[in-house]
Amino acid sequence: MNPPSLPGDPLRTTKKITWCPSCPDNMILESSQKAIESLIKQGHKRESFAMTCGVGCHGKIFDYLNISGLYGLHGRAIPLAIGIKLGNPNLNVIAFAGDGDTYSEGMAHFIHACRFNPDITLIVFDNQSFSLTTGQATPTSQLGFKTKSEPLGEFNQPLNPIHLALSANATFVARCNARDLDHTQQTIEAAIKHKGFSFVEVIQDCMVFNLETNGKDDRMYKIPKPQKLSRALKLARQFDYNQSETKIPLGIFYQTHRNTLYEEWPQLQNLKKKRISWKQLKR
Amino acid sequence: MRLNILIGGKAGQGINKVSAIIAQTLLSQGYFIFNYRDYPSIIRGGHNFNVLSISDKQISSHESKIDIIIALDENTKQVHKNNINKNTIIIDYKPFLNLGLNANIALAGALAKVLGIEKQILLTQINSNLKGKPYLKSSLEAATAGYNSQKQTNQLKKLNNKPTLLSGSKAISLGAINSNIDLYIAYPMTPATNALHELAKKQLEHNFMAFQAESEISVVNMALGSSFAGAKTMIGTSGGGFDLMTEGLSMQGISEIPLVVYLASRVGPGTGIPTYNMQGDLDIALRAGHGEFPRIVIAPGDPTETIEITNQAFYLSEKHKALTIILSDKHIAESEFSSTIKPQKPIKVKVNREVPGEKNTIIKATSYEHNQYGITTEDPTIAITNANKRLEKYKKIQQACTQFPMIKTHGKKNSKNLIIAWGSPKGAIVDAIKDLDYKFLQVIYMKPLSNQIKKEMQKANKIILIESNLTGQLGRIIREKTGISIKNRILKYDGRPFRSDELKKQLERELRK
Ligand SMILES: Cc1ncc(C[n+]2csc(CCOP(=O)(O)OP(=O)(O)O)c2C)c(N)n1
Repeated sequence: MNPPSLPGDPLRTTKKITWCPSCPDNMILESSQKAIESLIKQGHKRESFAMTCGVGCHGKIFDYLNISGLYGLHGRAIPLAIGIKLGNPNLNVIAFAGDGDTYSEGMAHFIHACRFNPDITLIVFDNQSFSLTTGQATPTSQLGFKTKSEPLGEFNQPLNPIHLALSANATFVARCNARDLDHTQQTIEAAIKHKGFSFVEVIQDCMVFNLETNGKDDRMYKIPKPQKLSRALKLARQFDYNQSETKIPLGIFYQTHRNTLYEEWPQLQNLKKKRISWKQLKR
Repeated sequence: MRLNILIGGKAGQGINKVSAIIAQTLLSQGYFIFNYRDYPSIIRGGHNFNVLSISDKQISSHESKIDIIIALDENTKQVHKNNINKNTIIIDYKPFLNLGLNANIALAGALAKVLGIEKQILLTQINSNLKGKPYLKSSLEAATAGYNSQKQTNQLKKLNNKPTLLSGSKAISLGAINSNIDLYIAYPMTPATNALHELAKKQLEHNFMAFQAESEISVVNMALGSSFAGAKTMIGTSGGGFDLMTEGLSMQGISEIPLVVYLASRVGPGTGIPTYNMQGDLDIALRAGHGEFPRIVIAPGDPTETIEITNQAFYLSEKHKALTIILSDKHIAESEFSSTIKPQKPIKVKVNREVPGEKNTIIKATSYEHNQYGITTEDPTIAITNANKRLEKYKKIQQACTQFPMIKTHGKKNSKNLIIAWGSPKGAIVDAIKDLDYKFLQVIYMKPLSNQIKKEMQKANKIILIESNLTGQLGRIIREKTGISIKNRILKYDGRPFRSDELKKQLERELRK
């Protein structure tokens, strides 16, 4: 049943927001919604969007954004999104996930999505912590991060998701700062328009846990346009997710075209060409 | 008339080719066959064998007594020496060593002569199998050489039956295609892999998709996504993969996205004995997944039932937004059964629910407890209402399942000696009790369980439970449902299916008790 919308705001449900008041998750919701609004203005239908979410603070976006979707289990936003796309290649599918969600519980899905190149968009809310479970270290937490579950401090070098996605042959790799609403909106819009797997990592502070990694904004700068792969890999290494003074590049690191999942399957091409779903297919 | 032919050799030597040629030739002559495949988890070498059982009447099992052995290597005679007696005919590979890859065709020729099949019938069969192949001519020559090397000891004249041959894996594929499947998603795992191969082969012709995901966790989650988007979706695996899918089953319970799961069991726990048979996964099929939610579990006993049940699974899942598990095993999936029974006409499976992408439709499905809009809630009243709804839904499912055969009875209808079993032992039981005073109650719907079971049990004086597992899992659920505990049990858990002649002896002993 269609959820009711806020008056004058069809893309927002009436569900009361329960994120912490100054949490940048609110801003990612704002940017994502603006990107979808902009695409609707350009001719996409509201009902052509479908989102999936993992479990974590980020996942609550499911209840606030008034589009269709599937609120999955922890770590599974990506396979759900690929499934929706297989189930109807005409939908614009967006997976919202956390850093714990994507790089810990769901890591295999992330790498295989880069490989399969399905035409979906992955937006990772990276606050470098498992926040909904009260602040343990995730694979992108900085060395030395002391938590309730790791009182001796994090021993492992953080994982670099941008570098990983590039190495795994992702066809669209971008990074944003949650506080930069316009840039995040534009990047998400470009990601949704990209034909193939588009990955947008949004760096955000957590206002309650892992405070020591917050406030990186003045180290951030924008790459003007997508780079060649070798250059993109170099730029990806500039920031290693540790505490340091290094610069943090934002923007679309890399974009290329490779046949997407549906372009490889005649059955899906047929649905796409006829603009129908399996449900409407006559055999 | 009944003969058991054992064809043995190393993996990769073409055992299945010999048995396929002979099986097709015999089918064309109106004979019933049952082909059991026994192979270790080895790609080249080791010892593989098939037992091809043939009869002029319907059979669905093989026997321990071997009438003819085709030995593609020395080892075969060694391994099976206990099943050989002075009347066993041994057809040896040695005279055909110089024929290279055609040796197995020559052995098929030799077997045809022993059975008393006319040479021309065999050659016609080979012709149609190998049409257009560059080695057709040399194969025909090899078949003739083999044929001429033997003495005829049987006289299989042409019969009027017209049986067709089917494995459980092919049956899954046929049942799915009958249901207009849109998407099959799987990760390879014996003995479910052949269903994936079969469906992959047929996807373009029937315009559906067979997709191999990166893991079973991904398989089940992708399936929830695609089914949510309106695609009639089935996934398939064996016990180990099913364990990984468990989280998705639970998510099905709360999100109510239709889902059909094909679970083909093998020997566990763990990696177990991967290419052998066990009915060890009934418990997990019935209960896997956290939380309390409805499901349907159906267990076919042969390929024809598999076709029908696959269709019922799609129908019930779609109609009731339910999880349906088709519980089969290696013995059904990989053995070949001949039959003249046609499966029932399929029921049309329709997607009548709202799906994303439809005009003015916003639809949310979720793994969280939720209100009528699919939005998360922690409200205790809604929690109770929704939990009660899941219970109500199971009652509806129980009612709906009664339109299908939830149990079947075989053998002597008025016998006071009742055998209760489910799944793959069916064939051996039906064949074993042909001349015995037994009634056989086959349980097909494992969940919901038929109310008829208790009534049948109350009519019996002696009840025997037969299962291919260690602990008698059906026995437990029957006790849970009826309060009756079955004391007499024939349980086999060596990974090998029941052989009807051995089972017959056991059942005769039970009658004398
Ligand atoms: C299978 C499973 N394991 C663990 C959890 C508990 N859990 C809920 S949220 C979460 C971490 C979320 O972290 P992240 O994805 O980074 O999201 P954030 O809360 O930081 O937005 C975990 C471990 C779960 N829900 N499911």
